This record gives sequence, structure tokens and C-alpha cells, in this order.
Amino acid sequence: MECSFALTGKGYVLIAADTTAARSIVKMKIDEDKIKSLGPHLLMAYSGEPGDTTQFAEYIERNIRLYQIRNLYPLRPPSAASWIRRALADSLRSRKPYSVNLLLGGYDTSNHTPSLYWIDYLGTQAEVPFACHGYGSYFALSLLDRYHDPEANLEEGLAVLRRCIDEVSKRLVVSPGKYRVKVVDKDGIREIEF
Amino acid sequence: MNTFVNRFSTNNALSVIRKAQAVVDDDEEFSDAAWGSEAGFGSLAKGVPSFSIPAVHDPTAFLRLHTDDHADPNCRIKIQHGTTTLAFRFQGGVIVAVDSRATAGSYIASGTVKKVIEINPYLLGTMAGGAADCQYWETYLGIQCRLHELRNKERISVAAASKYLSNLVYSYKGMGLSMGTMICGWDKTGPAVFYVDSDGTRLKGDLFSVGSGSTFAYGVLDQGYRWDLTDEEAQELGRRSIYAAGHRDAFSGNTCNLYHVKEDGWRFLGNYDITKMHYDGPGDVPGSAQVAYGYDVRVEGRTSSNPPAAAATA
Amino acid sequence: MARRYDSRTTIFSPEGRLYQIEYAMEAISHAGTVLGLLAKDGVVLAAEKKVTGKLLDMSGAKEGGYGGSGEKIFLLNSNVIAGVAGITADANSLVNYARTAAQRHLFTYNEDIPVEMLAQRLCDMKQGYTQFGGLRPFGVSLLYAGYDPHYEFQLYHSDPSGNYSGWKATCIGANNGTAQSLLKQEYKDDITVEEAIGLVLRVMSKTMDSTTLGSEKLEFAVLTLDRNTKLPKAKIYKPAEIDALLQQHDLGKKDEDTEMGSA
Repeated sequence: MECSFALTGKGYVLIAADTTAARSIVKMKIDEDKIKSLGPHLLMAYSGEPGDTTQFAEYIERNIRLYQIRNLYPLRPPSAASWIRRALADSLRSRKPYSVNLLLGGYDTSNHTPSLYWIDYLGTQAEVPFACHGYGSYFALSLLDRYHDPEANLEEGLAVLRRCIDEVSKRLVVSPGKYRVKVVDKDGIREIEF
Repeated sequence: MNTFVNRFSTNNALSVIRKAQAVVDDDEEFSDAAWGSEAGFGSLAKGVPSFSIPAVHDPTAFLRLHTDDHADPNCRIKIQHGTTTLAFRFQGGVIVAVDSRATAGSYIASGTVKKVIEINPYLLGTMAGGAADCQYWETYLGIQCRLHELRNKERISVAAASKYLSNLVYSYKGMGLSMGTMICGWDKTGPAVFYVDSDGTRLKGDLFSVGSGSTFAYGVLDQGYRWDLTDEEAQELGRRSIYAAGHRDAFSGNTCNLYHVKEDGWRFLGNYDITKMHYDGPGDVPGSAQVAYGYDVRVEGRTSSNPPAAAATA
Repeated sequence: MARRYDSRTTIFSPEGRLYQIEYAMEAISHAGTVLGLLAKDGVVLAAEKKVTGKLLDMSGAKEGGYGGSGEKIFLLNSNVIAGVAGITADANSLVNYARTAAQRHLFTYNEDIPVEMLAQRLCDMKQGYTQFGGLRPFGVSLLYAGYDPHYEFQLYHSDPSGNYSGWKATCIGANNGTAQSLLKQEYKDDITVEEAIGLVLRVMSKTMDSTTLGSEKLEFAVLTLDRNTKLPKAKIYKPAEIDALLQQHDLGKKDEDTEMGSA
């Protein structure tokens, strides 16, 4: 089952998403990247209905890029989140809505603040210090309530993320095998070997 | 959450009832007087009790009709489903911790339910699923355990007690019983925890959590668990895990009841208000750092914002 | 025959000019002066009102109109104020459009519209009227004073053709040449809002036709950051406040009140 996690720390946002693409009971691919870079300081993890996910993510990616081309500066994370939320909310009332859940992590260079947004396919948006999508949330949220620290350095943040992934691997019947982890901070976006 | 609830609901099978009825009929050959006879070797009635099923044509269908299958939210009787219970074995014995909320649909029917059933001074049973089923059958189990003591001049082992309960509920399988319980205690072998549910599953283990809030409890429990926890650390971990579930699961909450089983039997450690734990912590109790459990309280004033030193002062 | 290329905006003259647009700009150069000055911690706008006659009932403007004090300076959004020069009716229409555009941005992005983007929105509209048939261009130039987190304090100017540009200090309307050369002399890069207010008032008093300044001829506004919230705060001065400000800078009326007081 699809799982994604994200958490903020001192000056960064960490996002992790599993790398399996499954169809029915078959794993079609085990190294799929489900985290897109939407700008120099913006990451988006997406999960949900196969097909919808990539279509929607690419639609978002290109529109965010278009904004950056038109205005020379990228959308700031809160505005990007609002725009993406609206795209989902508009889609919800259309003939064929996108079923996509998102975690949006960004670093706002104008006020040096990392921010994380939890958005679901209904267009619910919340700014949170940590977030999960999928069955993993049942195990990881209480753990994050206990261990998350907004001022943790990257190493400590990764340790908490490791706890989440370990817990899900331990308890979830259909737990995913591998995860891809990315971080966004003042220097931009990096992938972390996990 | 229905997935978890489903674990304790039934599968219809009329044939199963007939089979069970046949077994029960069979059992009636032994009168009540037969119990404790047979030269003190106990009943030979295969451990199947002489409990008759309701006097309706089809008990399973009857129960279906009147209880809350999630397909029909307008039913008359709503069975308590949401719960968080946990128990774990460690170096210092067994910790048993439960919440105290009873829900009927979206209604909180009670916030002061005792979900730990004190079977006898050495045995505890936890309650998840149907409250009445657990209460009734675990009390019944208490009776049988006492009879075992009288007959054998020796306390029943946790393994035997849990096996008795497991066999009992299995004989009613498919008839609507809904239980997910942990039988915990201390016997000749030391501390022991068994998970027993109404499907007939019985598992021996070190650490279990049952109920709709169990996943949240597991999250905290697994990450903090070690065999060589001190008594105080273990008690704090139990409390903390029930708090986590009470906070995250809508069907769990109100208060936490905490028990510690040691060689000389169980001891009730206290009742802790979950809201109070959120804002102020559990109070002056051993093992507690005396800080509030709540995330917002814990991280108050801390920020992820990271302005460079120059910008911060400007 | 120049007339042949005057009557419709969409037609270039043989010399490659769009006469209607040039006429619109001409109209603006007779309008009341609007002056904008960018300081390091804020932006200052001042505008000259052309009083059309003594019988005009100004009592309604005493407390300042909604979102502005009257005809020349308007609050477009919580982070942008604008001064207009040109045909008032056209300006009202543009102000309404700008306010709507700002709200539309807020609706989609949940943030205040960046200043340059707002200027672009208006310029896109203005440009449209220089190209599509049968319509006349807007006879309005605007100065936008605003703040956004991308470029912080900003000052823009847009003209009827749909061109826009950013400025440290600029002036539109009557006597804008004089004002601009004065500004060029006096402007310093690290000027504060307090200094900017003084400079703006001095330049205004020199460029305006009348000898004395007063609230009936002047509109004034300042955009700064709120000390506590760090959010942009626009202050459009009420008539009484303008008079007080002028007194403070020794530019107010001395003829009636003070003469009697001091003499």
C-alpha cells in the first residue's frame, strides 16, 4: 500500500514516499519516483489513483513552471499550496475528478521558513509540522506526536523519519519495501540516500 | 476504521450454528453435578460449556437484524466497538493499559468504562469489541479458573486460561460474538500475555494492542519498547501509548487505566485523565518526566524557521 | 493628411505613430500632478487635485472616500495604493478592475498580489484598447506604490499605451518635467520615509500652480510596514491630517490662521 511521510525541521522539510507502483496484486515497478520538484524550493509527493497521480502532478508541475517563467520568481510555498488546493477542489466538482493526495514541502527564501502542507483529494488543505498519507498514517502519526521536534537538525529529522518507516515495515501487513527521501532547504532540493 | 471493527464481526453460517447446537446438546448429557466430579479430574465435557444459545429460530440472523452492522446505521442496538487496549511483557512483569471510552456509533456512551477485567488476583483480561461479550465471558472465565484452582489445588496457568477462553469463543464462531482480548498474568513460567479473539485466534507474545486505536498505540509502544525497561519506564510507556491512541482515535479516549502484573499478582496503578495528560502531563507519578504529552504543548515556542543570524537580529 | 490616422486607434500613421495614444498622453500631461517616491522603508505618494470651482461641494470628501480620500489616490489592495492622472471616469473604471484583479489573485493564491503583477494586469487591459477596433484607449496614467515579499517596496508607472516601468521617484501630470528634475537632484538611495515625506511635499509645493498648499488641493499617502505585524500598511491621509502635516513642514497656509495668531 502507498505510504508517504513528511516532516519539518530547523530550516528544512523532509519528504519520503514509497517507490512501488502496484496494479492489482502485482508490483509493476519498484523504483518509481513519486516526489516531484515543482521549483527550486518546492517538493510535492503524490499518491492515489494510478494515472490520475502522474497526470495531475505534471499539470501542476507545468503550471507552476509557467508562473515562474512569466514572473521571473517562483510562487512561494503558501501560494503554491493554495493554488494546487484550488486545482483539486475545482477538479472535485468536475465530470471526472482527480483522486490524488499530496504532501507539499517548501522552503520560503523570503522569510527563511520551511513549510509543509497536507492536501487530500477532496481539496482539504492544512499546514502541519508533520504529515502522512496512506495506511502508514495510522502508525506514524502517534509516533510523530511523540518524537517530532520542529527544531531538529537534519540528522535528527532523518532519525525520526527512520522510526516512521521502520514502524510501518514492522506493523503494516502490506508495507512498501523501499522509500525515496528528498529534502528541501535554503540550498534547494536534494535526494538523500536512505 | 471499519476494517478493524470487521475483525471482530461475524461471518454468517447457519451450518455452524447447527454444529454448535449439536455440540451443546451433546454436552447436556453431563449435568451440572458432573462438574468437579470424576474423582477431581474435572469435567470431561471437552471444555465446551453448557451454555445454551438464545431461544430464537436463528440467533445469528436475529443479532444481525438488531445490532450495528455498518451496513445499517439505524439499528436498535449498537455494540461498543472503538477501544484501545494494550499489554506487554518485560523484565519486570506485565503492563496492561486501556482507555475508558464506550461509543455507540458516533455517540460517546460512557467515559468511565472499566476495560480491564480482574479475573482473579493473578489474571487480567482486557476488553475490546463487544463490551457485554467481553464482560460476560471473562467473568465466566474467572469462574472456571476458580473451579480449576479448587479442583487442582493449583492456580491455572495463563496459557490454560487463555486456551479455555479461546476454545469457548471458537465454539460460538459465526454466531456474532465480538471480542478482542488479552489475557495477562503471572504463573509458574513467569509473566505471560496471550491474545485471544472471537475468530478463535490465540497468540502468545510479548506485546499486543487491540482495538480501533491500536495502530496509534503501536506507533508509540513499538518505538519505546525494550525488554529491559525499568518498572517506571514501562508504566510510563503504557500510559503514553494509551494517550497517543486517545488523542488520535476518535473512538478512544477519556481516561487511561493502568495495571502492573508482578510475581505477587496484579496491582492497579491508577486512572489518568487523557486531556490532563495532554495539557499538564500525568502528574507526579513514577517514571514520568512530569511534562505534558500534547504535541503543541511540548513544542510550544519552537520553530522550524531558520533565518540567518544577520536577518534574525535585523 | 494626419486626420486620416487620428480617428481610430488601430491604425498606424505613415510615420508609424498611434495618434490616439499620443493624444491620451497629452491629456494626462494637463492633469493634476501625481508624485511618487520610493524610500528604503516605505513609499510616498502625493497628488494634486484640480479644484474645478468654488461652488463645488467638498463637504463629502472631509473624511475621505472609501479606500481613498477622493479623486486621485486609491487603495487597490492592502499592499498597493495608486495615484491616477488623467480622465477621472476612466481611472475609476481601471481602479475597479485593479481591485477585482487583486481579489482574484487572493482567491487563487491566498496571498496579496505582487505589485508588478497588478501593474501587468492593468497594462494588459490598457494595451488591449490600443489594438482592438472601435475603442479609445484609457486616458489614464497611474503610479503604483506597493509592497510584496519578492521585491519589497516598489514604485511603478503605467501609461495609456500599456507600457509600465519601475522607478525610485517619478512624477506624472502637469509640470512633471520640473518635478522630475527636482527629484533627480534631491533623491538619495537610502532615503527614509520621513525624509521622503518632506521631499515630496517640497517638490509638490514647487510644482503646483498655487502658492500655498492645503488639503483641498493635495492628496497624500504613505505605504510602510506595520511595526508589529510586518505586513504592509497603507495610510491615505485625511484632509485634516494633510493640513497638520503641511504645518509640520512649514508649507501650510500662513495667510489666515497663523497671521492672526502671530500678529
